[in-house]
Amino acid sequence: MGNLVLEALCKRYGSSTAVERVDLEVKQGEMVALLGPSGCGKTTTLRMVAGFIPPSEGRILIGGQDVTRRPAHARDTGMVFQSYALFPHMTVGQNVAFGLEMRKVGRAERDGRVMEALRLVRLDHLADRLPRQLSGGQQQRVALARALVVNPAVFLLDEPLSNLDAKLRGEVRMEIRALQQRLGLTTLIVTHDQEEALTMADRLVVMERGRVRQVGTAEELYENPTDPFVAGFVGRCNLIEGRLEAPGGFRAASGALLHCDVEAAEARPDAALLALRPERIGLQPDAEGGGRVAAVTYLGAQTEYLVEQDGTSLLIIRPTPTLADPLRRLAVGDAVTLSWEAAAARLLPAAT
Amino acid sequence: MAALVLPAGLLVLLLLVAPMLLLARISLNQFSPTEMMVEATTAANYLRAIQDPYYQQVMATTLGVALGCTLLTLALGFPAAYWLARMQSRWKSLATILVLFPLLVGNVVRAAGWMALLGNEGAINAALKGLGLITTSLPLLYNTGSVVTGIVAVVLPYMILTLASVIESIPRQAEEAASNLGAKPFTVFRRVVLPLALPGVAAGSVLVFILCMNTYASAVLLGGPQFKMMAPAVYDQFVRGNNWPFGAALAFILLGVTLLLTVVGSTLLGRKYKTA
Repeated sequence: MGNLVLEALCKRYGSSTAVERVDLEVKQGEMVALLGPSGCGKTTTLRMVAGFIPPSEGRILIGGQDVTRRPAHARDTGMVFQSYALFPHMTVGQNVAFGLEMRKVGRAERDGRVMEALRLVRLDHLADRLPRQLSGGQQQRVALARALVVNPAVFLLDEPLSNLDAKLRGEVRMEIRALQQRLGLTTLIVTHDQEEALTMADRLVVMERGRVRQVGTAEELYENPTDPFVAGFVGRCNLIEGRLEAPGGFRAASGALLHCDVEAAEARPDAALLALRPERIGLQPDAEGGGRVAAVTYLGAQTEYLVEQDGTSLLIIRPTPTLADPLRRLAVGDAVTLSWEAAAARLLPAAT
Repeated sequence: MAALVLPAGLLVLLLLVAPMLLLARISLNQFSPTEMMVEATTAANYLRAIQDPYYQQVMATTLGVALGCTLLTLALGFPAAYWLARMQSRWKSLATILVLFPLLVGNVVRAAGWMALLGNEGAINAALKGLGLITTSLPLLYNTGSVVTGIVAVVLPYMILTLASVIESIPRQAEEAASNLGAKPFTVFRRVVLPLALPGVAAGSVLVFILCMNTYASAVLLGGPQFKMMAPAVYDQFVRGNNWPFGAALAFILLGVTLLLTVVGSTLLGRKYKTA
């Protein structure tokens, strides 16, 4: 085991750049998620770590050793593929034993470790089956056991849950996280599903167009996005273009004046965007109010409102009001007043 | 739906089954130098073909050439098929056409090309002489080597395309998983690619083996008068010897041996695939 360090990792294909100077450390026993839309370079980064793609520039260190030029078979990473990539002609047991065979582990020890790994994923009773005789979730767990049995220095997961149905996904997610924590595995997971990333990883790396946009815990990214892309990608967000009008006022391009934190404005005088989480906005029916309800969407536990104020439309999400609440009778065209804490309005630089 | 199969079914019946039955009947007849053929029901033609050391030798040569060519084609074709199957660029369809390209030229024309290349006054000998490396021509033509060269060049596209279609169905990620687990490239090939490609190896080898067993043009044109394989021997009996019964018997022996080895070979490979 050890940590994983990426130093200024780049991958270019001709004139196009897939990954642009990624710096990252995954600490011993930590789980880090690479999160981003498809084509953001997250999978390319993971495949460079595994050794399937040679980096154009930069270094990869596992446990302090430079493995940048090492072939995939000499890297000691354990990878779980999106498609599981089980060997269809081998039984479950043979699949799991493969890595141990390659490491010249003796027969007796091998059998023991294979069963141990299969017990870990609760599949020891299916060791003699062929992969095609298993369900998707079971195949996924075989792939986990196969990668874990060799005690890899770094555990790599490439969209491991995307081929599972929603119910199973939740279960396997918890199972992977529990295993990872119990075994203290240094883990890099790639996903485009932010819920997956938020629930599993210690830290998240949000990538877009080959670049790292922000690194942080789920809370840091949600509460303090420093980048407009992150604000829009992690959770939902109202992003309003405009500029600061001192003190504590943000003039939207449409003309609306929105209030924000004075100190935050001083810290970022060049702010070009105001980010406001929809659930941080308060809503009151008010005949004198400046906002007009443009849409109401009832979603059970929550209700979404779209409110137009001075030419700016804002999404607001509130817990669905009780029947007695006057808010419950809010309809399209009604006048409302909006309110939020100054600190809830995040100021961001222009999108790049 | 069944009616749609009728035209093809009739055609097969007419053009394949009927001549075969006719040939089978002829093979049981008796040869007569004056009357050509006398109605009979005798196994004499078969017995003669099996017992005659000359035809034993012809069969041995045919089997040797066919097996050798099949193995050689497999060895040459696998890397090419793998490369073709794993090709992802827009050149893939062009590469496939290039593999098919030799099939546009008939066997006879191609053999003539080899003759022009390998003959005593052929391009290779002429070039070597011109360079002063040799003074007398190398015997490149009319031997086993030239026949094998000619046959392999004919059957290679069949092997490559058959293998490539099977290799394409092997998920790339299975190979990546193997190397991720510590398998060196050759081990990945031996433990993952080859076992999963066995159905293609079986199909390609059967196809190529049958083609090789029935080689005619390459054997005649590149082997010369001394080199005898079964298909030309059958032709000789029919056309030169006018001995139709014996020619028919030889044809059926060739068919039987080819069929037997094809079944045995693919069964063995099939069994290996199941236990692998």
